[in-house]
Amino acid sequence: MKAKRVVGSFFRHLLLAILAFIWLIPIVWLFVTSFSTDPGIRTTHFFPEHWTFLNYQKLLFQPDTVANFPAWFKNSMIIGIFTCIISSAFVLMVSYAFSCMRFPARKKLMSFSIILGMFPGVLSMIAIYFVLKMFNLTDSLAGLIVVYSAGSGLGFLICKGFFDTIPASLRESAKIEGASELVVFTRIVIPLSRPMIVYTVINAFLAPWMDFVMAKLMIRSKDPADWTVAIGLYNILQKTLIGQYFSIFCAGGVIVAIPISILFIIMQKFYVEGITGGAVKG
Amino acid sequence: MKKKLVAVLMTAAMAVSLAACSGAAETTDNATETPAAEATETPAADTAEEPAAEAEIAQGSEDAISNLIAATEGTVDLTLWCSELESYQNTMKELVDEFKTTYSDVDFNITIGAQSESTCKDEILKDVEAAADVFVFADDQLNELVQAGALQAVTATYTFDPVAANGAGAVNAASLNGVCYAYPLTASNGYFLIYDKSLLSEEDVSSWENLVAACEAQGKKCGFDFANGWYLYGFFSGAGCNCTLAEDGVNNVCDWNGETGLAVAEAVKALCSSDAVISIGDADARAQAKDGDLIAYVDGTWAIEDFQAAYGDNLACVKLPTFDVNGSAVQQGSFAGYKLVGVNSYSKNVGWAMLLAEYITNEASQLKIGANTQEGPANINAASQISSPALSALGAQSAYADLQRVGGNFWTPAGTLGQSLYDGTAEDVQKALDDAVAGITAAAE
Repeated sequence: MKAKRVVGSFFRHLLLAILAFIWLIPIVWLFVTSFSTDPGIRTTHFFPEHWTFLNYQKLLFQPDTVANFPAWFKNSMIIGIFTCIISSAFVLMVSYAFSCMRFPARKKLMSFSIILGMFPGVLSMIAIYFVLKMFNLTDSLAGLIVVYSAGSGLGFLICKGFFDTIPASLRESAKIEGASELVVFTRIVIPLSRPMIVYTVINAFLAPWMDFVMAKLMIRSKDPADWTVAIGLYNILQKTLIGQYFSIFCAGGVIVAIPISILFIIMQKFYVEGITGGAVKG
Repeated sequence: MKKKLVAVLMTAAMAVSLAACSGAAETTDNATETPAAEATETPAADTAEEPAAEAEIAQGSEDAISNLIAATEGTVDLTLWCSELESYQNTMKELVDEFKTTYSDVDFNITIGAQSESTCKDEILKDVEAAADVFVFADDQLNELVQAGALQAVTATYTFDPVAANGAGAVNAASLNGVCYAYPLTASNGYFLIYDKSLLSEEDVSSWENLVAACEAQGKKCGFDFANGWYLYGFFSGAGCNCTLAEDGVNNVCDWNGETGLAVAEAVKALCSSDAVISIGDADARAQAKDGDLIAYVDGTWAIEDFQAAYGDNLACVKLPTFDVNGSAVQQGSFAGYKLVGVNSYSKNVGWAMLLAEYITNEASQLKIGANTQEGPANINAASQISSPALSALGAQSAYADLQRVGGNFWTPAGTLGQSLYDGTAEDVQKALDDAVAGITAAAE
């Protein structure tokens, strides 16, 4: 009986190991290619023949007219941080309103926003472009921050679910003591929902950090210093450049993952709690 | 109450936007009219020969420029889009700096953007008003840009006449219905055979049959991108088949499924049956050349540096080989392309944009670009001062090259045809050709 279980477990793990291996190949290839001395794509070898840190050095300290990574990183960082702050605030406030406050048409508004969220955002892209062009916000980081954070309140669902689990009696007792909604929100609900905030923050940072479509549409400038990381790295993949810049592209791909990884490692403990916590009561 | 407020705000926003639109339109209209009025009219035909006339033009053009300077107030904002390659960007920056010094009476704010010529049209037509004032594009995009009204016609010139100074092929590529719409910049968007001359003799590269035999004998490979219609076209055009734009300028006419086409396709299929022939794309080819497997490949000037790194001093370039159709050797044809500089007709400073376009396409500038980027100048005088193996190969090939005038429906069916001929999956070659031609000539939506 026991032997059977061991064998079964062995095959299960073998299968998982094979799958993991297959899924990891592209990432490993990207990683090792970023250390290659050869600037182009080498499809004939998996591992580079000679190893070097030069690609990272070029990427970070020797920006040229093609790869201006420091500028891209800065732009993406600015967009990411501001969007993160604004849209986290939006999500938390909307969730609080829907979860803890009672007002006419609350249910209807909620259904309406959920239905609104079901339309693919791509549909409105052209309209967004012309509206922002009207306000002269295309080609600017501010415009992108507006685009990413303006509609973020619609993503309130999970966060609202979490707020619902906070006992109403806590809020009520605070109100009896004379607390306003703002005080209840900042002093009672927020401190109690740390895992949820972490989840919201990570999500709010990831979306603009990794977005390509919106950024490509909004940023019409062809000056590499105005681009975000996604646009810049994509640009390197053109057929005229790829022969000279592919390993630098790989290095860029590795570096892009660093801020996300750091954010995750710091907040990982809360993250799982956040996802599951919000799901208890919907 | 709140609803009313929202409604009022919406109306206000719409009103503002309408006002903004009409305002912008007015200014552009004014701007488009000015340069035509100020610059001297120099009809192309009567400028070239007589020195007296030239002197007059010089006089007139100085007036035109001083008029332009006099009419300029404040800083002139211009955006210039050119190739993303570093060599291009740096050269253009130099040229722009020179331009600023030449016209130092005026304050310029010239931004150089990186935009591949091959996709320039798409970026411009996305939003013409927000596009660059001056841009470099590949000549096959001319039709659509003109149809969209994005190009300012070169009806007036300041410093020299681009029609007389540049090669006839380039001027033809820059013109539509007899009107010149752009300033020719380079004349080297074509392809030729790059090979390692330590391993292949001139005899070997004179025909595909010899080339394949030589590669087989040495256990090496020769490559051609069969799955790319741009290259595949050369086989068919060489044998006299026709594939070009229909009268409407959008759809294609193509006779590749005729008798000659069938013979060509059979020849290509026979060629591909050798293991020494591989169908690979640009990036893969460069990698394999570095590994030493690939000793001959059909590519363009943009790949020269990489092949130079792979073959070293043994790099050689030659016109495309002949290939055997029904027992007789047929010279392979090709596409020839030009890079052109266009001026956005919606530019707020059309006059200065035209002058800048003229400046970066004049003889000295083209010479500089040619020297720094491996590309061949379109300017006749500049072209005679630059030589490289790649450019002489292109020159030899140019007699067999056609201007790239095919509609968007050409690429996918042609690529599929090439791939199936290479794979040998097309049992019934006539059917494969019929399918490809049906796809190529299908009406564009």
